[in-house]
Amino acid sequence: MSLRVLNPNAEVLNKSAALHMNINAAKGLQDVLKTNLGPKGTIKMLVGGAGDIKLTKDGNTLLKEMQIQNPTAIMIARTAVAQDDTSGDGTTSTVLFIGELMKQSERYIDEGMHPRVLVDGFEIAKRATLEFIEKFKTPVVMGETPDKEILKMVARTTLRTKLYEALADQLTDIVVNAVLCIRKPDDPIDLFMVEIMHMRHKFDVDTHLVEGLVLDHGSRHPDMKRRAENCYILTCNASLEYEKSEINAGFFYSNAEQREKMVAAERRQVDERVKKIIELKEKVCSSSDSNFVVINQKGIDPPSLDLLARTGIIALRRAKRRNMERLVLACGGEAVNSFDNLTPDCLGWAGLVYEHVLGEEKYTFVENVKNPHSCTILIKGPNDHTIAQIKDAVRDGLRSVKNTLDDEAVILGAGAFEVAARQHLVNNVKKSVQGRAQVGVEAFADALLVIPKTLAENSGLDTQDVIISLTTEHDRGNIVGLNHHTGEPIDPQMEGIFDNYSVKRQIINSGPVIASQLLLVDEVIRAGRNMRKPS
Amino acid sequence: MVCNRLVGQPINGRIIGGCRRAWSYLQKKEKEKPLSIINANIYKEDIVDKHQAPNPSPLYRLYHVPLERSIGGFRPILHIAEHLHRKLSFQTDIAESDERIEALEALGVLLLVDLEACCTAVYLKCVTLYLKDELLGLAEEPQGDPIFRSSWLDMDVLYRSGETPQGILTYCPRLISVGYQGTLGSLSSSDPLSYRTSQSDQSGIFTWSGNVTRHMAEPHKKNLFLQSLCEDENSNMDSTDHPFHENFHPQGQVSDKDRVECLQSGVNCWTDFCKVQYHPRSLYELHRSWTDDQKMDHYGNGVDVLSHSLHGEEMYERLRFFVEECDHIQGIQFIVDDSGGFSAIATGFLDDIVDEYVNTPVLLYAVRSPCAYVGGKSQKESFSRALHDAISFGRLSSHSKLMVPVGLPTLSKLSSALLIEDQKLFHSSAIYASAIHCASLPFRMKSPGPTAESVYTSGATDMSGMVQFLAGQGRQNMINILDLAMPVPPLTDQTNPSPILQSLCSLTPEIVEHDDDLHATEALNIYGSFSGGRRATVGEIEQHINDAYQNELRRPQFCHLSAASCPLPIPLPFPSIFSRRVGRRGELSECSLISGDQPRGSLDVESVPMAARLRSTSAVKPFIERRLWSLRRYGLERGAPGVELLRSWGFGREDVEDMEEALAASVAKLDPQAYASEEDLDSE
Ligand SMILES: Nc1ncnc2c1ncn2[C@@H]1O[C@H](COP(=O)(O)OP(=O)(O)OP(=O)(O)O)[C@@H](O)[C@H]1O
Ligand SMILES: [Mg+2]
Repeated sequence: MSLRVLNPNAEVLNKSAALHMNINAAKGLQDVLKTNLGPKGTIKMLVGGAGDIKLTKDGNTLLKEMQIQNPTAIMIARTAVAQDDTSGDGTTSTVLFIGELMKQSERYIDEGMHPRVLVDGFEIAKRATLEFIEKFKTPVVMGETPDKEILKMVARTTLRTKLYEALADQLTDIVVNAVLCIRKPDDPIDLFMVEIMHMRHKFDVDTHLVEGLVLDHGSRHPDMKRRAENCYILTCNASLEYEKSEINAGFFYSNAEQREKMVAAERRQVDERVKKIIELKEKVCSSSDSNFVVINQKGIDPPSLDLLARTGIIALRRAKRRNMERLVLACGGEAVNSFDNLTPDCLGWAGLVYEHVLGEEKYTFVENVKNPHSCTILIKGPNDHTIAQIKDAVRDGLRSVKNTLDDEAVILGAGAFEVAARQHLVNNVKKSVQGRAQVGVEAFADALLVIPKTLAENSGLDTQDVIISLTTEHDRGNIVGLNHHTGEPIDPQMEGIFDNYSVKRQIINSGPVIASQLLLVDEVIRAGRNMRKPS
Repeated sequence: MVCNRLVGQPINGRIIGGCRRAWSYLQKKEKEKPLSIINANIYKEDIVDKHQAPNPSPLYRLYHVPLERSIGGFRPILHIAEHLHRKLSFQTDIAESDERIEALEALGVLLLVDLEACCTAVYLKCVTLYLKDELLGLAEEPQGDPIFRSSWLDMDVLYRSGETPQGILTYCPRLISVGYQGTLGSLSSSDPLSYRTSQSDQSGIFTWSGNVTRHMAEPHKKNLFLQSLCEDENSNMDSTDHPFHENFHPQGQVSDKDRVECLQSGVNCWTDFCKVQYHPRSLYELHRSWTDDQKMDHYGNGVDVLSHSLHGEEMYERLRFFVEECDHIQGIQFIVDDSGGFSAIATGFLDDIVDEYVNTPVLLYAVRSPCAYVGGKSQKESFSRALHDAISFGRLSSHSKLMVPVGLPTLSKLSSALLIEDQKLFHSSAIYASAIHCASLPFRMKSPGPTAESVYTSGATDMSGMVQFLAGQGRQNMINILDLAMPVPPLTDQTNPSPILQSLCSLTPEIVEHDDDLHATEALNIYGSFSGGRRATVGEIEQHINDAYQNELRRPQFCHLSAASCPLPIPLPFPSIFSRRVGRRGELSECSLISGDQPRGSLDVESVPMAARLRSTSAVKPFIERRLWSLRRYGLERGAPGVELLRSWGFGREDVEDMEEALAASVAKLDPQAYASEEDLDSE
């Protein structure tokens, strides 16, 4: 899906041309992404050559859909995607920041300034900003019982940049509760323990959190119960399938009888394994109101299913690999790799297990578990686009909550940080710098303003007015962000607009590194053309 | 399976795709029901309940239709269930419950999952699939050659029946196709079931209340062939009242000739000639992190693609979806173009498969188009190419039970009956696909039961049987050679006692031409060959091969013969690659049938008899030796130039040493003395 091919024609370029090519590429990419930013950004509908439609408001997804050929733009895009990989957010901001650094530099370079000077200034400004962010951040203490309100505010800020408000607010609780569910004191948070499942069904607002697990398959035997209460759960990864052993492969029998015998022997082995499960079931389910569910990562063939079904056991085959871990975290017990030493301790428990059928899709819900450390966000929506949107947003939301718990700090959003950092650089840092590197510091400081400027622009406000009123208010000693409805300064703390500390920090870190590399270019060879002239 | 006994009306006098019509017929069936589940926007809460109720569910109806309308010689469904039971050789008592549900479950018994990667492979798979589709189509044609109607193929081995969220019944191959983003042409990966009837823009944006901007890529133009597929689809949808209307002409101005010509002159993408409908989970696109197309594609690129994302996990999940449905998975047929980064991606995928599906055999075809041999003359490129070949061979072979390298530098000299243009992927993939299709038929033959003999087929086996036969005995060599004869000459030839054996040409490169291995094993598949102007019976073919080998100086130690009297049907989008010596039914004549120099295609040739053979023999030794040599020379020797490159692909010295050892062992197995002396030891 080619949105735009940036600078298609360039071969070996001299220094200045190469530099300008870099600057243009950075600006070009910035232009594509800038309308994405913030709660007033535009959603992009990408219509592919086959008439297929992709909808996205996410910088990361958008970049990946683009066919970028210009090597400079590729470099920037890679940095931005890496930003998303490590911290889960801030892709758009990264692209904008790099683009703006290049744009600011262009002014000075056109006046004859050497790029080296600017790069030195960037380095000073970056260090100063990273120091500043430590002072600026709002620490939050995350002990045994984290402050749920702050987590919600961070999650809501992120979600509202991707979904309409009411839906974002509904998902806020879901993502916060999901992360708190899987969080164990002293262990790092593993977001994979939140299963994200979707059903093309009903409406987006029917999305909800299931404390327990939802599996995307059901039992394959007509006689197995579709609903059971008070269930013992056996989580296992061992085959219950009749498998031909190598010698038994078919060509080596002298007669059919011998073959039958071999097959029967193989079959017996599988039946033995099934019997062990049945024995355990008889042991624990002596009372009539309890049930037994087997969830296996490996296969279960029809005869085994049949044996299990006859004793009232529900069995599911080919569960997801990750669900082995999740099931144990949700239901307790352990995942067994063989049926040899089964004990009641291996078993987990769930209050309710039931199957839900939607067309050809089957889902199994394992719910009402005690003290779960794994859960499922069940996304619903009327079509694939809606589901994909919500899925992207949920990922962002989960990451933002995890980041907050890890960082133990947040940053005031809505441009407040950028305005404050810029004023700090211009008012304090710049003066302390000797000589021309000052220019670099100033370019860096102005580049930071791209965030509030773009937020204003996307809200249809006059960027000049906004920046003036924000900086003036800031210099009066207040911390101010942008009210994207009115353009007035607001206190983001009051409004509950918070960004992640680690995301901001990484943007400040990586932006100038890439910009410096692009500025110090000596010669750019368009990648791939390899200087070989087509003959 | 379900489909082929449902419908049978040719459209424009020719069948285009069997399942699709069955499918649209089913849609019409559904329309007649009071409950309109065709309406695309109904969310099926109420229908779901129907499913669970004991009364007829949609699936139940599906099974009823064939019973009422069994056309031609189809056995009613219950027989099939029984037959499968016998085949499994163990009994269950489920039959007491609802017979039809039982049949449904049992039909999922023998399953093959096909996997493939990258362009050549995808092209290829596409052809293989439409070949299968064509067989199904011909089986439906009531006036057709009875040979095609014999329903000797069990389509359910490869296909699954399902249902879309709108309640439309589907029948799709059980397949995962992996390609780079943007290589699907006019097909949409998210909605591959609909014949590119482009999605409506009104899909509505429910999640965002702010502004929307639209970016349109230039639409892919549909060629005449695809257009006719769409029209067909639409007209099928519209003509509700005439489900069995004969010779229904939509806007039949475009002739088949135009369609064939448009394919002959320009195929840019495999989707240009693809008429198969895929399950939405089948087509998977990899994001390539914006690498430049022109850059040489090698193992390292694939490593990069897999390392930074969840691609591996997602591919694995999709496979799990198809496997979960299978009561018993026969094996996995894996086709990969190993000339570039895809061999690394395939290796990553195979890693997972080998871990999880321990006893499931993987039959791997490593395929290259003739184009893969062009270019790269500079020294650096040639050594990195040699290293790539060695590494990708070493890695792939360690992950499968049977590996078949396929891909000659040129196909133009393959046979005087074929006119193949090497630069056209469309042509070479048709050849390879036919060969692979043919070699895999024994896995899908319906076996008539342990005692009964079928008149149509012989030599059915399953994949693990075949793999064990070829790679598990004698030299235990798992690198096999694929041979092809297309069209295969008639059995009777005064001058030549073994015309079939002599007409087989290898599609595997770099092998010894005159195979003199006395310990070879081979699986020979012959389909639809003639015996003096008429189709030879299975018995005749068997007899012939037996006699032919009596006369040969070199004989394999074991030969597994599989035969059927049904030839390979040539579907409409098959490229025109036959010379003028090839007749309508694929018979060969000495001189040109007609004048002119146009190659003959699907309009002139309806079917061809063919033979394919998998050979496990020492003739493959040079192929392995060359890779071993490259690995030593460029990757291991002192001052080897490729050490850095290998490291960047993720191979340390130890890994390379291990691989060298493994390759050396495979070469040693093929030593003429090796197996013989072992046998002597055994007998002592
Ligand atoms: N209610 C709000 N008012 C003003 N600004 C806001 C508000 N909510 C979020 N923002 C600002 O929007 C910016 C985040 O926008 P967005 O999430 O679209 O981009 P991103 O995080 O850089 O990239 P992406 O999420 O696409 O990876 C932050 O700078 C944040 O402070
Ligand atoms: Mg964001």
